[in-house]
Amino acid sequence: MSLNPYVGPWTKKEAGHLLRRTTFGATNQQILDAVNNGLPATVASLLQVVSIPPPLAFDPGETIVAQGTTWVNSVYPAQVVASNNAESARYKSLAAWMMQNINQESLSITEKMLFFWQNHFGVSAVTEARAMYHFLELLRQNCLGNFKQLVKDVTIDPSMLIFLNGASNTVYSPNENYARELLELFTIGKGDQIGAGDYSNYTEMDVAAGAKILTGFQVSGIRSSTMTATISTYTPILHDTTSKQLSYHFNDFVVANNGGSEYSDYIDVIFQQAEVAEFICTKLYRYFVNYDLTQDVLTTVIPGMAQTLIANNYNIQAVLQDLLLSEHFYYGTLRGTIIRNPLDMLFTVLNSTSTTPTFDLVGNSNVYLTIYYAAENMGLSYAQPPSVAGWSAYYQVPAFSKLWINSTTIKYRFDVVSGILFAGLNIAGNNFKLNTMGFLNGLSIPSSAPDVIDDICDVFFPETVSLVEKTILKNILTNNLPDFEWTLQYNDYLADPTNPIVLDPVRQRLELVLNRVFKMPQFQMI
Amino acid sequence: MKRRQFVRNISLATLSIPFISDGFGMKAVNQKLFNFSTGAEDRVLILIQLNGGNDGLNTVIPIDQYANLMVQRSDIIIPQNQVLTLTQDVGLHPVMTGMKNMFNAGNLSILQNVGYPEQNRSHFRSADIWSTGSLDVNQTNGWLGRHFDAIYPNFPEQYPNPTNLDPFAISMGSEVSATCQGLMGNFSHTVSNPFNSFNLYEGGFINDGSYFGNNVEYVATLINQSNEYGARINQAATAGNTLSTLYDPLNSLAVQLKYIAQMISGGLQTKVYILNLSGFDTHDGQVDDLNHATGTHSLLLKKLSDAIAAFQDDLQLLGIQERVAGLTFSEFGRQIAANASFGTDHGDAAPCFLFGSCINAGIIGPNPQISNLPNAQAGVPMNIDFRNIYASLLKDWFGVPAQEVQALFEHQINYYSIIAGCNVGLDDIDSGKATALLYPNPTPSNFTIKFNNLVEGMVAADILDLNGRTIKRLFSTHLYAGIHHIPCESSDLAEGHYIVSIRKGDQAENLSLIKIS
Repeated sequence: MSLNPYVGPWTKKEAGHLLRRTTFGATNQQILDAVNNGLPATVASLLQVVSIPPPLAFDPGETIVAQGTTWVNSVYPAQVVASNNAESARYKSLAAWMMQNINQESLSITEKMLFFWQNHFGVSAVTEARAMYHFLELLRQNCLGNFKQLVKDVTIDPSMLIFLNGASNTVYSPNENYARELLELFTIGKGDQIGAGDYSNYTEMDVAAGAKILTGFQVSGIRSSTMTATISTYTPILHDTTSKQLSYHFNDFVVANNGGSEYSDYIDVIFQQAEVAEFICTKLYRYFVNYDLTQDVLTTVIPGMAQTLIANNYNIQAVLQDLLLSEHFYYGTLRGTIIRNPLDMLFTVLNSTSTTPTFDLVGNSNVYLTIYYAAENMGLSYAQPPSVAGWSAYYQVPAFSKLWINSTTIKYRFDVVSGILFAGLNIAGNNFKLNTMGFLNGLSIPSSAPDVIDDICDVFFPETVSLVEKTILKNILTNNLPDFEWTLQYNDYLADPTNPIVLDPVRQRLELVLNRVFKMPQFQMI
Repeated sequence: MKRRQFVRNISLATLSIPFISDGFGMKAVNQKLFNFSTGAEDRVLILIQLNGGNDGLNTVIPIDQYANLMVQRSDIIIPQNQVLTLTQDVGLHPVMTGMKNMFNAGNLSILQNVGYPEQNRSHFRSADIWSTGSLDVNQTNGWLGRHFDAIYPNFPEQYPNPTNLDPFAISMGSEVSATCQGLMGNFSHTVSNPFNSFNLYEGGFINDGSYFGNNVEYVATLINQSNEYGARINQAATAGNTLSTLYDPLNSLAVQLKYIAQMISGGLQTKVYILNLSGFDTHDGQVDDLNHATGTHSLLLKKLSDAIAAFQDDLQLLGIQERVAGLTFSEFGRQIAANASFGTDHGDAAPCFLFGSCINAGIIGPNPQISNLPNAQAGVPMNIDFRNIYASLLKDWFGVPAQEVQALFEHQINYYSIIAGCNVGLDDIDSGKATALLYPNPTPSNFTIKFNNLVEGMVAADILDLNGRTIKRLFSTHLYAGIHHIPCESSDLAEGHYIVSIRKGDQAENLSLIKIS
């Protein structure tokens, strides 16, 4: 590996850090398991892609397939209103499914990487629910795979062809939209403007040439009542068959006509430039480590990551493995550098407490939709980034992740969490409430007030909190009584675990503690 | 307007200002002026929870039972000659001189043997019962939370708002109060220090300049900015005043009560303040074995008594004593017999203190009867159900109609007459008992005159100094018959006492106005 491996202590602190950065919320037990399994085994486990069954129809607007079955390979109704209703139902199903996948993730980096790629490619779900599902699946299945191949696949994916006008890019009317973003946002990145139309890594000439190279692809089957999938097609007569001259940034390479495979040739040329690896590694670094690129990071860490990426033929898993095992990743000063995005905040509350809805399909789906909308209210509508550049929190200098929080969204964060924590959210006739007792019983020594507080801090805070703070939290838990009173109360509960007289006081004390924890600034960081 | 409006700041629609300003001494009605709430609706309840289970028998000593107490708890009993005598049969712990003085001044009442049927001796369950005001294990909302829910059913959505700018309740410290847990949210807002109302550094956090430290500070600052209550609290505390010299800065309860006096006098419209004093779980070392009037318990009682006495003194000096009443309570009392560790174990009923200038001072309920035979694990039997105290406060202090109070409780309420006097309030204008009053009073800036104009005609009002000299004309205008809320400008007045003289024909009504900084 190109980065210095981490050889320091491997405790809950480091393991918790790794899991906070790579998952949407780990339980205390998962952190303990990571400690026991050691760093290499934990990273190996995290770097396995998880397959997920497709979304199921639950909304009555879906009239083609039965409730409880999937619609991802089914036609749409022919009649317009019915088709609109089905599409609405399918988007709801897709949104709920995306949330469910995060809520039920296993110990894997998959969901965090899926979000990374969504942000990277910036495709908004505008084409069709079916096409969006297949686009997300493309990202999921290749989230740790070959970056070059992923760019190729995304280039001719129906959702992308529609989203960035590739489908209307023909020899008769070239459209530069995708060609520009391919260079600027997806592969080599836009550098400083160093001349007329010259952005350090490419020029306007390359954009124009790229547009020609990419001509000829179309999309068919959108909302079709006869086709069971929306597909990309290559139509030779729409393709520009001239030779395309690239700029000096690509060594004046000339891309020869190669019909429907020409895009692949072009991407190969782009990927011959070392800047591509540095570009994507910088983005990975900012996503997983820190927004701030110090001199050391610029001269050592990112070049090291890029070297690993190139040496492994653009295999993302290799570079992540390098990074997650590196000394740099575990620097104490690099904990708490990132402010949780709304989904990270919400699902840490849920996943770290093993809270999942346990209703029927409709009930669960409505819970997940509610969570989707809650995150949307806080500025993150999953699979609908605000622009092709993704969410500004991942690129806007100098604020970066601070952009997730403003005086409105912070209040909303608190209100949602309080709702889940205390009374539960009433969603379509079901009450969705935090699994407080499951969380407590999963801690190391639930009967010991100091241990309960230690575990809570290990799970929810990126950094050690002060003894003063721990004392405040413990006093809330014990209601200012001596620690042994909590022990007695917890043991009373254990002896009669369904009796609300002994159960409720324990639950309520813990909820009061968590209420403070979730509203502490420190909780908002990973 | 019903008295339950006490808890509901007046809404814009109910404000009637059917007069035309002559432009002299009056500002056009603006949003800011609506911020003031109304006089009798300014009543405040202080709840002081004694965490751990207070030993009532060493707090309020039933002197007529002394011989039998000696049988039961000679290891910890307060020497009879040191007991502070309130009446022939009832005395206080020797350190409670402050509360003894309050009792003698008519500002303290003792509710004897307060508890509930079938006492649960678990701290946690019993605290829940006291918080919910219910014996029903399925009741998870607090008694005040249910009360607030009945008035503000959609809380916390869209709160604060222009008619409810201030938190309904403030819990002093780091923890929201379970008494205020409502259906959708908790009505209490935590405040450790109203001058630093976000408590940013309460947990000992220091921004060390790291990425993390900067992030924490950034989020904390935003929380602070978004904390609209925090700004109001800070503003009130800054505008408010404190005049008593009795507060001991080392007495944490006194410090918190002082903050509360500042918030109240500064115009904060919060209805309930909740405080905690912990350490009452005195299983061992409750008293010094060589001197029973000293030890852990005496320190706690001194803290309590000194703090409340200072607070009452402050309220009186500030002239706001009629707005505030307070209640102390503990999750249970302790057993009658001492244990072998100079302490006491979890028991049953215990006394509560009710304080303020408007309470029905005295001793409510008989002394507990102490057996002359040691009886293992016996507690003091319940005589007054605490739920009836809560209900009586809601009805007589907050003016909630009896049937609405009953709807909040599962049991058949038996009211106690614990509030007396001080019934001059806005509702007394509505009921014809008074014709005018000023609110808020004291005021940090502007105030409003509520005036019942019995017959249509010209009305004028002036501010006079204490020598009767006119300082400024507030208004002179034609008023229709009926009740008027007339906003008046007084932010230009220096601190001090003034007279507001409202004149109509040859009659004048003079009201005292206190301007504070």
